[in-house]
Amino acid sequence: MFERGVAVTGTGYSKVERRSSRSLGDLTLEAIGNACANAGIEPGEIDGLATFPDNPSFGNASIDGIDVVSVHHVARRLGLVERLRWNSQCDALIQGSMVDAINAVASGTCETVIVFRAMHNPTGGAYNAFTADRAVGGTQFAAPFGVHRGYQTYGQAYRRYMWEYGATREHMATLILNGRRNAALNSNAYFSTAPALTVQDYLDARMLADPVCLLDCDIPVDGAVALVLTSATRARHAQHGAAHLAGYAQSVGRGGTSDAAIAIGLPLSQLQENGRVLAERLWAATGLRPTDVDVAQLYDGYSFFVYWWLEALGFCGRGEAFEFIQDGRIALEGQLPVNTFGGQLGEGRLHGIGHLAEAIRQAAGTAGDRQVPGVGVSVAALGPLSHISAAFVFTSEPK
Amino acid sequence: MTAIAPPRPIADPITQPFWQGVAEHRLVLQRCATNSTFVHPPEQVCPCCGGSEFAYVTAAGTGTVHSFAVMRDRRVRGYEDRVPYVNLWVDLDEQPGLIMLANLVGGDDGLAIGARVDVEFETFSDGSALPAFRLI
Repeated sequence: MFERGVAVTGTGYSKVERRSSRSLGDLTLEAIGNACANAGIEPGEIDGLATFPDNPSFGNASIDGIDVVSVHHVARRLGLVERLRWNSQCDALIQGSMVDAINAVASGTCETVIVFRAMHNPTGGAYNAFTADRAVGGTQFAAPFGVHRGYQTYGQAYRRYMWEYGATREHMATLILNGRRNAALNSNAYFSTAPALTVQDYLDARMLADPVCLLDCDIPVDGAVALVLTSATRARHAQHGAAHLAGYAQSVGRGGTSDAAIAIGLPLSQLQENGRVLAERLWAATGLRPTDVDVAQLYDGYSFFVYWWLEALGFCGRGEAFEFIQDGRIALEGQLPVNTFGGQLGEGRLHGIGHLAEAIRQAAGTAGDRQVPGVGVSVAALGPLSHISAAFVFTSEPK
Repeated sequence: MTAIAPPRPIADPITQPFWQGVAEHRLVLQRCATNSTFVHPPEQVCPCCGGSEFAYVTAAGTGTVHSFAVMRDRRVRGYEDRVPYVNLWVDLDEQPGLIMLANLVGGDDGLAIGARVDVEFETFSDGSALPAFRLI
């Protein structure tokens, strides 16, 4: 895909907690420090920085270093203000930052880029509560109707999925338990030491917007993750191995994806179509096929996104994912291990960068207790498929 | 608990005809003048042809339940005392795939994907209105 190969040589986490006593800025520096150490570089070598800084929660403050962490904050604190050749704060989620960073390395603009994501669990009020008394722009078609949260719209697409194909909550329990089982092997995960979950626990979980229950949603946390990107050439000297980028595809959505259309929610058929188009471009860009993939990290901000990614990427047919995930097929030792780090449902709401980090670790062979043996190709697919989604393929060897 | 009003929709140049219609208890849809496609929510340009000339027509108000979610979390401004309430996607009769988001009013007996609904207008203490749907 690129003239100049791109690799990821380091990943680093801060401690992930429900509420941290440390500032989000401090957590971010911890994650970047860990990523640099993992890559065997000094923070002073960083010449590019990218993040998506927003806290996707309405009505909360955005104080830099407390609620959000900008590239400016990091550049200042690491003394990189004069050194940086490039920096980016996009509006297309962390997948957009990752795409930007890849291009910065591939173009030769930068040698050592950090992509980071810092997430804050706001105190007071409910996550994503709409607190304004006026609803403008896209929200005017949702908030006045008492529709504030994604699970009230994506949840309707999920009900439609269940109705069209015969999926049940019992089917979904398999995915939730898979995430918790894998989280137990991930010391970064919020649910790492949680008692084992049972199918009945899932079925009994509190309904938020039927058919969506609490355990279909990831858990908001305080935490940060950083990745170190460099050229494939420099990656030869990486301390702990590297994951090589085979390619990516990024969507801007199709059809009526205005803010208002997103606010009222895209129907299942449109999500499926968007996913199909993105996947077609991903496989074309990488020259690979679904059957080449050894392990998949699929965005699970809501559990049911995993079904739609599995189907879109061609791991199974449309309407088949709820059956595909049964019988151990997505477990660590299964045919296609999925969300081997626990997903966001097990690790916490790090907004997609956890999926990237795990795809990278699996391809680099550094996933520790949860390493799938012999991974040659790993995929990370991020986003809700409605818009601003992207998928990345990493390989253990450069092409 | 003191009742707080739901967020008020603030019309803009693109959406003004829709909300003007709601104030008059009519469901007004944007329709592309070039290819006659209905567009909801209203857009600046037609997603099908890129045209920017629109007509605004009063819809029949009838449709079919495309899907729904039964909201049980109370932490929603203006809806604290209404849970559970039903968020509906309605396939409007005007055009296949023309979906509108609103709430169900008047009881949920017979609520299912595929059920038939008709629009009605909820009015609030400040005189404002919102479209809603009732099972028929």
